[in-house]
Amino acid sequence: MADTTISTTLPLAQGAKPTLIADNVHVKYKTYGVRRRPEGAKAPGFAQKLAQIGAVDVVHAVRGVSFVANHGESIGLIGHNGSGKSTLMKTMAGLIAPAEGAIFTDGTASLLGVGGALNKNLSGERNISIGLLALGLTPKQVEDATPGIVEFANIGNFLQLPMNAYSSGMAARLRFAISTAAQPDILLIDEALATGDRSFRERAQRRIEEIKETAGTIFLVSHSMNTIRETCQRGLWLHRGQLRMDGPIDEVVEAYESALG
Amino acid sequence: MTAVGHNPPLISADLQALAVEHGLRKVGGRPPLKTYVQDLWKRRHFTIEMARGMTDSSNEGHRLGQLWEVLTPLLWAGLYLFIFGVVVKTRAGTENFVGYLVTGLFIFRYVSGCMSLGAKCIRKSQGLITSLQFPRALVPMAACTAEMISLLPAILVMFVLALTSHEPIRWQMLLMAPAIVLMFIFTLGLAMTAARIVDALPDLANMIPFITRFMMYVSGVFFSISHFAGNGWLGHVLSYQPLAIYIELARSALLEEVAVRPTTWLWAIGWTTLMFSFGFIFFWRAEARYGRG
Repeated sequence: MADTTISTTLPLAQGAKPTLIADNVHVKYKTYGVRRRPEGAKAPGFAQKLAQIGAVDVVHAVRGVSFVANHGESIGLIGHNGSGKSTLMKTMAGLIAPAEGAIFTDGTASLLGVGGALNKNLSGERNISIGLLALGLTPKQVEDATPGIVEFANIGNFLQLPMNAYSSGMAARLRFAISTAAQPDILLIDEALATGDRSFRERAQRRIEEIKETAGTIFLVSHSMNTIRETCQRGLWLHRGQLRMDGPIDEVVEAYESALG
Repeated sequence: MTAVGHNPPLISADLQALAVEHGLRKVGGRPPLKTYVQDLWKRRHFTIEMARGMTDSSNEGHRLGQLWEVLTPLLWAGLYLFIFGVVVKTRAGTENFVGYLVTGLFIFRYVSGCMSLGAKCIRKSQGLITSLQFPRALVPMAACTAEMISLLPAILVMFVLALTSHEPIRWQMLLMAPAIVLMFIFTLGLAMTAARIVDALPDLANMIPFITRFMMYVSGVFFSISHFAGNGWLGHVLSYQPLAIYIELARSALLEEVAVRPTTWLWAIGWTTLMFSFGFIFFWRAEARYGRG
C-alpha cells in the first residue's frame, strides 16, 4: 500500500510536510426524543409528540471531506451556516470522532471556540489551572504560565470571580490565552477573533503569527472574508458537508462570493 | 501548489500512506490502553483540581461555605437516628446503634454520591469536553475524588461520634485507611461504568436514584443484615454484595462489636479489583464517543 510513487498523485508541493490529513471524513450527530419536521409541516400536536417517544434522528453534518494541510499553512474554512465548518473543526481537534474516515495529525491540535468559559461557575483562576492541567501541563508549568495568561487576557482583578460574572469579551480572551498557552502544533480558531476589541484582535493576531512560526498549521473559521483574507493563504469551501473547493484563498473567496450572487 | 476546482480526487489509500510516511497519528479515536494510562497519569493533578472545583462550586453562594461539609453529614445522622432509633426501632442486633448507623450512612452516601455524580459528570463537563482534548476517564475520576473530599470530614464526624459513645481507642481503627482506599478504587470503577452507560443512554440517569435507594435498603445501612435477613441465602447475598462489605470494613475498624474478619477483607479486595478493571476497560472502549451531544 505504501508505494513511493503514490504520493506523486497527491497535490503536494515538493518538500512540503503534511501536518494534518483528513481522509474521507464523515461526521454524524444523533438526537434523542425528537425528529426533524419535513419542510412546510405544521407544528406537532399531541399525537405527533407522542410518536416522537424513542425517536432518534441522525444529522449527517460532514460528508466525505478529504484534504492535506501542510506545515506553515494557514487555511480558512468558508461556507454557509450549517455547512459543517465547526463540526469539521471539532473533529480535527479530536473532540468528536468521525463516523467514517479518519483525521491524522502531527502533534496536538487545539480548538478555540466562541464558548468562553470551561466552567462558568468557577473563577478565572480555577479555569486557568483546570484547562492547563487538562492540556497536560505540570502544576509548576501552570504556575509559571498563569501570570502571562492573566496579562494577555487582560482580566485584571476579575481573576478570583466566577466566570459567569465576566463579559463575553473577557471570557473569550481568557479562553484564547488558555488554549494557546500550551503551544499547540495545530491551532483551530472558530470565530474567536470576532469577539473582543481592536487591541485584543491585534494581540491575538501576533500570538497566531508566533504559533505559525513555531508550530505549523492554523485553521480559521470566520464569516468575515476580510479576516480570512488577512490571515490565510489557502481556502477550503464547505457546502452542505462536502468540500466544494480547495485552493489559494483569493480564488476560493471570489468563487464563494460569486456563488452567493 | 494546490489545483483549483479540478483537483485530482484524493484516494483514501494514498492519504493513509502519506500519514504513515510522515508519522502522523490518528486523532479522536481511542488510544491504546498503555498510552491511555500514561496520559491519565501525566494529568493526575487535573483530577484533584477539577474535584476541588466540583466541591467548591457546590458550596459557593452559601454563607457558611465549607462548614456545610461537616454540617450536612451531622444533619443526616440526626435525621436517621431519629427515624430508625426512635420512631422505627431497627437497633436490634447492634450495641452501639449511633456508631453503627452513622458509619453505614456515611459510607452509603459516599458510594451513592460517586454513582450519581459519575453518571452526570460527562454532561456536566460538556464545556470542558467540547473544548479540550484529554483522556475522558479523568472526569468520572474527578467526580469520585470530589465525593472523597466530602467524605473526609464525615469520617472525622464518625470518629468523634464513636469515641463519645464510649468506643475504646484500638489499633483496629487504623484499618479505616486501607478500607477507604479500597472503597475509593472500587467507586472509580463504578463511576466510570455509570458514566459510559448514562452518556450512551441519557434516559438511564432517571434510574440512578432508584438504584441507590435500593442499595441503601439492601445494605444494612440502618439495620443489622444478619439479624433481620437471617443467615439463609438471602442474608448471604445481602452481606457479600460490595456496599455491605465496605460498610462492614468501616464498622469493624470503628466499633468493637463488629469483628475484623479476613474473609471480609478478601471480599473487598475482590470487589475492588473486579469493579475497577471492568469499569476502566468499559469506559476506555467508548473513549471516542463521549460528549458528542
